[in-house]
Amino acid sequence: MTFPFSTLINHSEFSLIAAVVLGFFFGFVLERAGFGRATKLAGQFYLNDMTVFKVMFSAIVTAMLGLVVADGIGLTSFSAIATSAASTTYMWPMLVGGLLLGVGFIVSGYCPGTSLVAASSGNIDGLFTIVGVGIGSLVFGEFYPSLESFYLSGDVGQFYLYQWLNVPQAVVAVGVVLMAIGGFVGAEMVEKMMAQKNHQRPEPSPKTPKRLVFATFAGAATLGLFLLLIPTKTQPIEARSVATLSAETLAKRLLDEPWKLFVLDIRNRADFENKRIAGSQQSDPDNLKNLGLAYRSGTQDLVLITTDNTVPPEVLHYPGNIYTLAGGFSAWQTFALEKPKALSPLATATERAAYAFQSAVYAKMTGTVAAPPPPVATGTFKPPTKRKGGGCDG
Amino acid sequence: MNTPTKFWNPYLAGFALGLVLLASFLVMGKGLGASGGVNRVAVFALDTVAPNHVDNTPYMARLKSGNPNLLDSYFVFEILGVFLGGSVSAFAAGRLKRGVIRGPNITVGKRLMFAVTGGVIMGVAARLARGCTSGQALTGGAILSVGSWVFMLSVFAGGYAVAYFVRRQWT
Repeated sequence: MTFPFSTLINHSEFSLIAAVVLGFFFGFVLERAGFGRATKLAGQFYLNDMTVFKVMFSAIVTAMLGLVVADGIGLTSFSAIATSAASTTYMWPMLVGGLLLGVGFIVSGYCPGTSLVAASSGNIDGLFTIVGVGIGSLVFGEFYPSLESFYLSGDVGQFYLYQWLNVPQAVVAVGVVLMAIGGFVGAEMVEKMMAQKNHQRPEPSPKTPKRLVFATFAGAATLGLFLLLIPTKTQPIEARSVATLSAETLAKRLLDEPWKLFVLDIRNRADFENKRIAGSQQSDPDNLKNLGLAYRSGTQDLVLITTDNTVPPEVLHYPGNIYTLAGGFSAWQTFALEKPKALSPLATATERAAYAFQSAVYAKMTGTVAAPPPPVATGTFKPPTKRKGGGCDG
Repeated sequence: MNTPTKFWNPYLAGFALGLVLLASFLVMGKGLGASGGVNRVAVFALDTVAPNHVDNTPYMARLKSGNPNLLDSYFVFEILGVFLGGSVSAFAAGRLKRGVIRGPNITVGKRLMFAVTGGVIMGVAARLARGCTSGQALTGGAILSVGSWVFMLSVFAGGYAVAYFVRRQWT
C-alpha cells in the first residue's frame, strides 16, 4: 500500500492546502454540472431532469472503480481508505436523517454542498439555505442530549456492502456499475416520457460522451475483476514474512494500546477456555476461512496465538501486520500467568524494573490485585408514587 | 452580454467529480464534505456572541476539545475551496450574477422562506446522519458503506415523498 502518504496527511499545512485545492475542484465541477441552480436540482424530484442521479452515480462509480483498480495493483488498500473515510453505520439515525435531508432538499432546492455552490455563483436563495443549514446544525446541538439515544441507535460499526455480501470489493463494484448503467438508461427513458407528457422536446443526450464514460466504467470494472484473478496479488501473500513479538512486548502493547491489536487464538477451544490472553478471540483453524480476514481493514495488528507457531495460509491474507508470539502460548503462560520469581537482593536496576513490570502484568492478567475496599451504602429511598389508571392491569 | 457556457454533460461531470473524490481518497485518505464545515462555521459564529453557551453545550464544546480554534479544521478549508471553485467556474461561464432561482409563480420572499426552512431541516438531518449528500452519500457510497447507501436511498425517498407539496416553487 502506497497511498495515502501518512507524512503528508499529518503535515498540517499540506493538508489545509489540499483541502482548499480539493474543495476548489469539487465546487468547480458541481457548478459546471449545473448544481448551482435550484431549478436544475429540483428537476430530479419531478422526473423531468435526472441530472442529479446521473452525476451522482457516475461520480460514485468512478471513485469506487478507481479505488478498486488502485487496490488491485497495490497502490492503496480499499479497506484502509474505507476505514479512514467512512463513518460508522448507525442504521436508524441514517435512515431518518436521509429522509429528513431529502425533505429539506426539495423544500430548499439544494443540498448542503450545492447550496455553497449556488451562493458562490451569486444565488441568494443558496445563501439562505446555507444560513438555514447552520441554524439547523446549531438546533441539533441544542437538543443533542435528548436526541442522543436515537443518534446512537442501530450501531453496527463500520459496515460495508462487501462484508454484508461476503464477496471481494471488485465483485460488489461490478454489481454497482451494472446497477448504475441500468439506472442511467432508465433515467433517460423517464426523461423522454416526461418531455412527451409536457409537450416539450427532450433535452438531447449526446451519444459520444455517454459511450466514452460507460466504456471506461466497463473497462475499469473488468480490470478490477481481472486483477482479482491474476496470481500476482496472492504471490506476495505466500511470501509474507511474519514477525514475532515477545511476550513482554505483547503485554506492554496490550496495556498501552489494546485497540491496535487483534489477538487471534487458534488453539483448541478447551485450552482457550482454560487459559487465554485477555481480550483475545478464539477460532479453530478450520473456521478461519469464515472470518473474512482478507476483507478486514488491517488497521489493527493481528497477533496469532498458537501452540507451535505455524501460520495457516488463511491468516496470511490479513491486510495488516501479522505477528506470532515468540514461544507460543506457553511463553505467555510463563511471563504473565505465573507469579514471577522472587527477586534476588543483588538484582540490578534493569532486573528490578523488569520484575516490577512482570509483577504488574501478572497482577493485571490474573486479577490478583487486592480487592477494592467494600463500598459504603449510600442513597435515600423514596417509595414510588402509585400510578393511577392506565396500563393493561389497570 | 454573451450567453452563459452550457453545463457539462452529466456523465462527464460525474466522471470529473468522481476523479476529484478519488484524488481526495488517495491523497488525504478521506472524502469530500459540506455540512460538517458549515456546522463548524455556525458554532464559531455562536461562539463569538455566546462563548459560555457553546462551552456548556456538550455537542458543540466537543468541537473545541482538541483545538480551541473552531475554524482550524480540514473541512472548513475545504468548503472555502468549494466557494472559490464555484465562483471561478460561474464567472468563467458567465453565470456569476446576483439573483434568486425560482419558478415563475412564487415571490422572492416566499422562495427565500422555503430556502431557509429547507436549510434548517437539512442542518438537523445532516448532524443526525453524520453527514450530508457529500460526506455521506457520495463519499460513503463510493467506499460501499452500508449506512451511506441507506442514507442515499432515504434522501431520494424523502425528496420524492414531499416534492408534490412544494411544486409551486418551481412551476
